[in-house]
Amino acid sequence: MSSAIRTEHLSKIYPGSASRTPALADLTLDVPAGRVFGVIGRNGAGKTTFVRIAATQLELTSGRAEVLGYDVMTQARDVRVRIACVPQESRPLYFLNVEEVVYLYLKLRGLDHAEARRRTTEALDELSLTEYRRRPVQRLSGGLRRRTLCAMVLASDADVLFLDEPTTGLDPIARRQVWDAIRRATKEQRTILLTTHYLDEAEALSARLALFERGRLALSGTPEDLRARVRYPFRVTIQGAYSAEELTSYGRLTPIEGGALVFAREPEARELARRALERGQRVSMGPVTLEDIFLEVVGRAIDEETPPAEAEA
Amino acid sequence: MSERNRLRSIGTLVRINGIVPIRTQPFYLVSIIAQPLSFLFFIWIVSRGADLAYGLMGGMVLTMLSVGTGLQSDLTHYRHDMKFQDVVIASPVEAPIYIAGMALSELVYSLPALAVFVALFVYYGYATVSSVAILTGVLLLVWSFGSAFAFTLSTYFQDIRETWAFSPIFSLVLTVLPPVYYPISYLPAWAQIAARFSPTTYAAELVQGAVGLQPLTPTTAEIDWIVLVAFAAALFLIAAFKARWRDP
Ligand SMILES: Nc1ncnc2c1ncn2[C@@H]1O[C@H](COP(=O)(O)OP(=O)(O)O)[C@@H](O)[C@H]1O
Ligand SMILES: [Mg+2]
Repeated sequence: MSSAIRTEHLSKIYPGSASRTPALADLTLDVPAGRVFGVIGRNGAGKTTFVRIAATQLELTSGRAEVLGYDVMTQARDVRVRIACVPQESRPLYFLNVEEVVYLYLKLRGLDHAEARRRTTEALDELSLTEYRRRPVQRLSGGLRRRTLCAMVLASDADVLFLDEPTTGLDPIARRQVWDAIRRATKEQRTILLTTHYLDEAEALSARLALFERGRLALSGTPEDLRARVRYPFRVTIQGAYSAEELTSYGRLTPIEGGALVFAREPEARELARRALERGQRVSMGPVTLEDIFLEVVGRAIDEETPPAEAEA
Repeated sequence: MSERNRLRSIGTLVRINGIVPIRTQPFYLVSIIAQPLSFLFFIWIVSRGADLAYGLMGGMVLTMLSVGTGLQSDLTHYRHDMKFQDVVIASPVEAPIYIAGMALSELVYSLPALAVFVALFVYYGYATVSSVAILTGVLLLVWSFGSAFAFTLSTYFQDIRETWAFSPIFSLVLTVLPPVYYPISYLPAWAQIAARFSPTTYAAELVQGAVGLQPLTPTTAEIDWIVLVAFAAALFLIAAFKARWRDP
């Protein structure tokens, strides 16, 4: 499989950052072509820095980064004709209507009228935006604005799309709409680099994932790869009374409301579940979630802010 | 991008930033016409009609400069509040195409003001082949270096509000202090020297000379052109090498 984005020892130190703490440190990463690649990490982990370097919007400090084999620093022009990006917190120009946002973006990229029209109609339809097509962006909800921006890049002829936190700040229904849009877009053989701090989103959409923590790559691979990398790939939840001593012998015990959560390897997990069922307890068992993996690797939850002093590490 | 696609991009930018916003908010046109016309009115009243021609020539130069001021705040706004510049960078559209398209789109807003000035210009009998040629050349130069400078500045501003602080300073330094609205001979000697540092002084000297408001020797005219072109070239070079398209 060829790669869409590849970095080698990529580092970024923002000019004037007082502590000279790298926003990205020695990042070596391979994003295969033709799939959704999810970059996850807490606020400040370096996701946007990575996206902006790969999308040729930001200079790198050291190392290399390539998109479709072209160097982002020395061959930026070759990269730029092949990519499209929805930057973090970007907003469509408010005086345009939904259709104009998509159509004029395509014209701006150099497509002719007929082609731009055709792609616009198709994308609006795919993203269920047709009924809003004449509505000014100013009068759209946040979810529809994001969907419009996604429609804009999905309609383009770019091979690599960057979506930087496309669903942050949206309500659950709007998030699902954006997910659907991304899913439908992946039918084609294009690469989508998606960043998010919603783990369910990353898992639902991505064929492969990379977990960033403080500018470093903490883990990467398919969701299965990530599971295989943790010590205990299974989770067993038991409702009711339990003996801490007994459960600890199966794996790692975390007390929860009204019972216990045990992380264990597969045989122990099965054994534990069987025993608990025999005792007539309510049991559920399954592979660990991304959330669990994140906690184990990073040592804290994804929505916990890094205290500024600690971020210096 | 092919030449044809470049033209298409420029046309699209004119449509995005020049035509659609005016369609949705026609008052943009009124606001942009208000300043140069109110200067003209003021000069006309105070001089009891005598210096109307100065107001006219100055108004045209000011209108072309205001394209730069408008461009600079639009570019800053698009860059920071919409992240539109990032959207454009990650596309086949190159920086010079973006600037050209945006600078042209700002020109659309100035068309009504220019139309009024041109009508008066013709009505008062100033239009000759040479005056029209000189005027066109000067205004194009002012527009182009103003736009190049505006782009450079916009890539350094962190917030749209910074541009509000700078705009009046620029219009003071470029249009009120230099002899755009009156002959340079009105200025005291020290101010004449100071005015020589502003490119608009040379622009004004040329347009005032073109309609016979001021005597202009061929040598002076030549120097004026050279200085104006040099200013434009310098501002283009600064834009090419110092403006931040990709962030550092
Ligand atoms: N323009 C900037 N100047 C200085 N530091 C920055 C800048 N942008 C981001 N940073 C810092 O770089 C680190 C990574 O930020 P970012 O890439 O935005 O993370 P994420 O997108 O994962 O939230 C953070 O510590 C942030 O404070
Ligand atoms: Mg970010």
